[in-house]
Amino acid sequence: MDVRLENLSKSFGSNSVLKALDLTFPERKFVTLLGPSGCGKTTLLRLIAGLERASGGAIHFGGERVDHLAPADRNIAMVFQSYALYPTMDVAANIGYGLKVRGMAAPERSEKVGIVAKVLEIGHLLARKPRALSGGQRQRVALGRAMVRKPDIFLMDEPLSNLDAKLRATMRGELKRFHLDLETTSIYVTHDQLEAMTMSDLVAVMNEGVVQQFATPEEVYDRPVNLFVAGFIGSPPMNFCDVTVAEHGGVPVLMLAGRAIPVPPQFTLTRADEGRRLVLGVRPQDVRLADLDDPTAVPGTVWMVELIGSERLIEVEVAPKLRITSEVKAEVRAAIDAPAAVAFDDAKLHLFDPGTGLALPRAD
Amino acid sequence: MTAKEWAGRIALYTILILVTIVVCFPLIWAFFTSVKPKDEIFLWPPTLWPNVWTFENYTSLFAGKQAYFQGGSAASSAPPPSAFFLDWFLNSVIVAVGTTLISTIVSTLAAYSLTRFRFPGQRAVPYLALVGYMVPSIIFVFPMFLVMADLRLTDTLLSLILGYVCITLPFSLWLMWAFFRGVPIEIEEAALVDGASRLRVFFEIVLPTAWPGIVAAAIFTLIVSWNDYLFGRVFMNTMENLPLTVGVMHFFDGTHVDWGLMMASSVLMTVPMAILFALLQRHLVAGFGAGAVKG
Repeated sequence: MDVRLENLSKSFGSNSVLKALDLTFPERKFVTLLGPSGCGKTTLLRLIAGLERASGGAIHFGGERVDHLAPADRNIAMVFQSYALYPTMDVAANIGYGLKVRGMAAPERSEKVGIVAKVLEIGHLLARKPRALSGGQRQRVALGRAMVRKPDIFLMDEPLSNLDAKLRATMRGELKRFHLDLETTSIYVTHDQLEAMTMSDLVAVMNEGVVQQFATPEEVYDRPVNLFVAGFIGSPPMNFCDVTVAEHGGVPVLMLAGRAIPVPPQFTLTRADEGRRLVLGVRPQDVRLADLDDPTAVPGTVWMVELIGSERLIEVEVAPKLRITSEVKAEVRAAIDAPAAVAFDDAKLHLFDPGTGLALPRAD
Repeated sequence: MTAKEWAGRIALYTILILVTIVVCFPLIWAFFTSVKPKDEIFLWPPTLWPNVWTFENYTSLFAGKQAYFQGGSAASSAPPPSAFFLDWFLNSVIVAVGTTLISTIVSTLAAYSLTRFRFPGQRAVPYLALVGYMVPSIIFVFPMFLVMADLRLTDTLLSLILGYVCITLPFSLWLMWAFFRGVPIEIEEAALVDGASRLRVFFEIVLPTAWPGIVAAAIFTLIVSWNDYLFGRVFMNTMENLPLTVGVMHFFDGTHVDWGLMMASSVLMTVPMAILFALLQRHLVAGFGAGAVKG
């Protein structure tokens, strides 16, 4: 069942949290709402769940308008950040509560609970109270509670944020598996781009109550539509440098720290753009260390070197206060304050308009 | 365990036993006094363990008014105070249970609404309630007596119930408010998403979770309304309508004090509360603890 938002907005008092969203979550896709704290992603999820009332606009599930319905009547399931297990009930009662409310008889209920518990490998915990469970076990109970009802829409609000890093990595894979098995439309809220990139079919990057970009993880990473998306996605974050369009040998070039960089082939700049100021974006992975005498490289001095496991981050200061980070193999060594030059992978460069923040149109 | 640890433990237990004896001694003394014959109570040197055991104090307390009238005594003379003991006991039970029911139900619902709905003054109410509780009840009792007189409720158990609700509700409200604040709203939302109605969420999710808090508030109310003397003294005057606390004072009658009856009544007043405490102390600690930490 698809979820369609039409001109949806939400304000708390004078604080406008969501601004006229138009968005369709396609059927059976795993969609992630990704953004920093306070961008409105959880509010959006709660609107879809029916836990908040919209200030304007409409929500449709599979063509049927639902925003006047109570959460109970939307056939949704939701996993909360805090898991929100019922503290006075044991695990079996927690998982079966939704079935009990819907009037299912006890024997049938315990059979269904048993099946779900088996899938989630929590069969041995059914008689325990939530407080006697570990974080990962609680997480599974919360998932079980959502799965047992065969919901049309599966909502998850940062379900992994309370787990340790190792368990989080395992659960990412499992959640994706459950999504495929359940064959529902899943909407997942997170501020963790790794979760968004690894699990999603589609990512909606949100900021200040507006969806900045709604696309596949590849698209969001490779072709960010604006400075916010470019800066938010990717780790370490994208380098941004102010550049000026100039003319060199009859063709437009980008002037960066006194060096002329050829305009990347995917962008078309003309004589008319001469003198225009742009923002050049390049991911650290697309910056390499070049020879000092390379004419296309930008020279500078090494400002900081950090080892991050199999890679090393080298920050080169090419102009006062302008540092470009390069992610290179750990074998590459560089001494702090030594001269160094950085060169870019042309095809991976991004150009943005500093005024609007939007990416320049691309030819590819 | 090493010798040092043993020594520490023995010292600790010795202190605990001594403190327990000090605390319990009046109760123990009251009990033994209540089972002594009248002349032994004033024996010097006093005996702790009675030389002669008697339950005459208890039998005269339990005899009731009927026994007195059926005994054929002259109707011209009023029955002795001990004949009213069962009335007083029943009055105290009615008042304490009535107050506890009203105060706990009202404070639970009020506190829930204070933590779950948004309205002006939402933050101020619990604190004002706490301030209200800090005002000594002697300040309330006379204005309240005038109100009860206007309502023609004086000398009725209802006046006592209303009076005790007034003095216990603020603290119960504050306690429950602190408790509900610690109950995450997500569990209610999870139940709503699971398909439950608001009312069902309240009864099946919220109330069981808040149970320790409710028990704590109820016990507090029960103790206050069971032990209070002031309101009973001011509001009530007919012998039959007195609560226990005020009634037993009639064992002092100007010329002599009947310590045997006094102590037997004290024991009978203490026993129900002690049993209740023993049964509920687990909830009580959890309730006060949760309220204190999370509030």
